[in-house]
This record gives sequence, structure tokens and C-alpha cells, in this order.
Amino acid sequence: MGIDFGKFLKNPEFDIKITTYRDIFQAEAFERDRFGEEYKKLSAVISMSKIDMQKMGLKSKDTVKISNNYGTIIVQAKESKRSEPGGLAFMANSPWSNALVSGETGGKGIPEFKNIDAKISLSKEEITALEKLTGTFIKKPISV
Amino acid sequence: MVTCTGCALLCDDIEAIVENNRIKETKNACRRGAARMKGCTNRLIPCIDQKPTDIESSLKKAAQIIRNAKAPMLFGLDNSTCEAQIKGIQLAKKMNASIDDTSSFCQGLLIERILAKKFRTCSLEDIRNKADVLVYWGSDAQDSQPRHLSRFSYFPRGESRQRGYEEDRIAIAIDVRESNTAKICKGHFYRIPLKGDREIILALIDALSGKAPAYDTKKMLELAGILKKAEFGAIFVGIGLTYSIKDDFDILTVLADKLPNFAIMPMVGHYNMRGFNEALFKETGFVNRVKFDGKAVHSNNYSIMESLNKKTIDAIIVAGSDPLSSLPHSVLANLASIPVVCIDPCVTMTSKIATVTIPCAASGVESGGTAVRMDGKVIGLSKIIKSEYMTDEEILKRLMEAI
Repeated sequence: MGIDFGKFLKNPEFDIKITTYRDIFQAEAFERDRFGEEYKKLSAVISMSKIDMQKMGLKSKDTVKISNNYGTIIVQAKESKRSEPGGLAFMANSPWSNALVSGETGGKGIPEFKNIDAKISLSKEEITALEKLTGTFIKKPISV
Repeated sequence: MVTCTGCALLCDDIEAIVENNRIKETKNACRRGAARMKGCTNRLIPCIDQKPTDIESSLKKAAQIIRNAKAPMLFGLDNSTCEAQIKGIQLAKKMNASIDDTSSFCQGLLIERILAKKFRTCSLEDIRNKADVLVYWGSDAQDSQPRHLSRFSYFPRGESRQRGYEEDRIAIAIDVRESNTAKICKGHFYRIPLKGDREIILALIDALSGKAPAYDTKKMLELAGILKKAEFGAIFVGIGLTYSIKDDFDILTVLADKLPNFAIMPMVGHYNMRGFNEALFKETGFVNRVKFDGKAVHSNNYSIMESLNKKTIDAIIVAGSDPLSSLPHSVLANLASIPVVCIDPCVTMTSKIATVTIPCAASGVESGGTAVRMDGKVIGLSKIIKSEYMTDEEILKRLMEAI
């Protein structure tokens, strides 16, 4: 049995600019059950233009890792059905996109929810579960 | 007919079909509204340190947290009735707490200016009856306020707009993305680069002043031409625009001054965010980011973001909001490091880290009251089904009595 050298090779990483939007189906899923599979399915996804997908060698349903100084998420890639000129990727606003948003607001109190710089690469990891995103913050009882 | 609390359109033409004290079906509501009215899968239960308890013990523990805190904050109330919001403001005052809501990182900049009368505004009925030019700017109403176009703006017949969208109305979308709203605005979708709104505003100001705009001259002159011809125009300002020009928001005032036939309308998500802004504005002259300390002091430092960044609060009551879901993760460790009291009908991400949880009735479904629509009109909310849960208003009142 040969050694799978592929697993030692790092997938190429690309710079990406992400903006967020609202999606009615995702909002509906949030109201019903924000911990449910439907909400995760509609949130943990990034859509891009056909041109950008081709440039990065990605195809729809590929799993991708997106990371920056503020966090890392594993989500599904999707080719946008809309006519997009490229250069900008889209995520529905959710705890997944918020994992990549800087807390720095220049003292003004409004984060850059819609203007996210990150790196993207193909991944073999599992789509990030909500529990993993927020589990870090689950604390031990605070005595008061 | 009952009122939907899915968003700040507060649609009051909803039919709710009730079976076994649950809303089985709704008629007229959008997907989001219907889901909200039918209720969440996971109801919150009273807990202390994530261990189930009874409501009285939760209330007692919450009061203890508030009493012990030197710098508490009350956050949220955008999904609460006006009556609960007034009670919340009174509680913050009594606690000498800071108080903030989602508008702090959403539409607060715009609503503050609307309440201070820096923009001309109008009612949604005015739009239905008179508006001929509708500009959705950084706003995908089709996904965020799904019945906006069908009840009030583009599609309905109005007193002076008998032929609706076919002849009498023009809908324009200015956005970085071809949103579902932009798709409806066929031929009038202006795609702009991310953070390009400021440049578009400056170009439009030039075009409306008779100067050649530096940016995309042909398209900007075309757009300015449509705006100039409007008899009654409206700019629906979405958070896309608000976020993009947050550092220089007053340029929108300059543009509005160049468009005397236009009204500015904030596109609001949470059903009673404007109600909170109006109540706090009436009490203090500010729509959010206030600290009570004998008097009301306003500062960006009292925003939830800066309070968490600078670790200046030592306890927080979160009512009807889920900051763990909506804030950048880089500040959440600071939120998790202080005692959190969570008041909500449903299990939320925030309730999962709360020191104390207090379940409440779902307002507009299990309790009545009033709320303020995105245009400032007060709308009645109905109690549709019976509930044994306390209202958030009652909970806030109990906390106030206990401290």
C-alpha cells in the first residue's frame, strides 16, 4: 500500500473578501430552532461567483476552511446562481460569519460585520458545529 | 386579525389558526413571521448555573447578581413590548446601570437622526398612497421585511398610484449584491463596490447640483434624473448603507437635503427596536448607549461592544436578545466572564452561558401590548394563546421590586 503524499500537501490558500446578507429561509430556520440542522445548513455556507470558484479550483459542495486573525470556520462552498462579477464572497449573517468579525470598532461600537478579509482553502474537516463555535464560551459557574 | 412580530413591519392583517392552545397555521404572514408566531422548538426553563430550578429562585438569584454588581448593563428589549421597554429603562435607572440594545450595532445612527428630525420621514401609508420612486439602498427587504414591497411600497395600489408597479412606481436597488429585492428592480439595479456608498452619495450630490459626477458619470446622471423627477420619493435605508457610511453618516443628510421630495425610512429588523429607541430618546435624548448615574450620560463607551472590549461592565441582564449569536466572537469571552441573566421565551446561545435564566411569555403571541413600527406608528399586539409564563414586563417589575 502506497503512502498518500497528498495528505501532507497543504491546500492552496487564497485571499477572500466576504460580505454578509440576510436570507429569509435562514431567518425562518433561526426562529424555529437556532440549534437545528436546517439553520446550520443555511448558515455554514459561502457563495461565490463562478469566476472566483474556478480561480480557486473550487466547486459547489466542496468543504472549505476560512480563517483570519479572529477565527476559523469550516463551511460549504457554493457557486452563486446570480450574475456576480467576482471578487466578493457572500455569507448569510450568523454565528459562523461572526466568528470572522473583528471586535475592534475604533471606539465607535459598530463592528465590520459586512467587510471581512480572510483566507480560504479546500478542507477535509467537518463543517463547524454551532456547539464548537460557542462551546468555547460556556463557562464554569460564576460565584456571585 | 392579529399582529405579527416577525419584523418591524408589524403586519396587522394576520389570521392565526389556533389548535390545542398552539398556533397551528397563519395566513398572510411571511415565512419568518409565521415561524416566529408558531414559536421555537426549545422553550427556556429557569436555571441557576445551568441547573434547573424554579422561577422564584431564578428571580432571587438575578436580583442578587444585580445588587452585587458595581457596573451592570441591561441589554436588549428589541423583541419586547413598549410597556416592557419602559419598565426596563426604569430598572436600569434604579440599578444605576448602562443600557443598550441591538440598534447600537444596527440602525441606531439613523433612528437617532430621524427622531432628532434631521431627516424628513413619512408613514408607510404615505408611501402606499403617494410614493412613485422607491430606493432600496443597502436593503434587501424581500428577505428582511418580506412584505414591505407587497403591503406598502411597489406592488399595492394607492390613492395617487392606482396603477402600482406596472406604470406608477419605479423601484431602485443600490447594493453590493444582486439581492432578491434588486431582482425585482429590473433595469434599476445599481451595483456598487463594497464600501462604495459614500462615493455614490457624493456623486449623486454632484449630479443633483448640476455638476458632472466623478464616479460612473453616465449611470449617476441617469439615477439623479430619476430621483429629480420624483413627486414623492422614499429612500429605504438598510444596514448595508448604515454600516458602509457609519464614519461619515451626515453625508446622507446632505443628500437628503438635495432631494426635497424624498422621505428617509429606516429598515428595521427586530420588531420593536424603534420602540426601544423612542422610549429611551424620550427619557434621555439618546436612542442607546446610555448610563444612568443620577443623570443620563451618553457615550460610545456605553455601547455593548465597547463595554465588552474595555471590560467595563461586571454583570449583564440580556432581555429578548441573543448577543452570543449576533456579536463578533472576539468579544464573547469577555461576555462569558461576567454573570449573565438571560430573559427570553426560548433557549438561545446566550442562555447557554447564562448564570441565571428566566423564561418569559412570547410577546405578541402569549401576551399583548404595543410596539412601534419602523415608521414610528404604534401598533397593538394581541395575546393569541394562553400562557403560564410571566411577561418580560412582569419579570423586570419583579426585579425592580427585589432590588
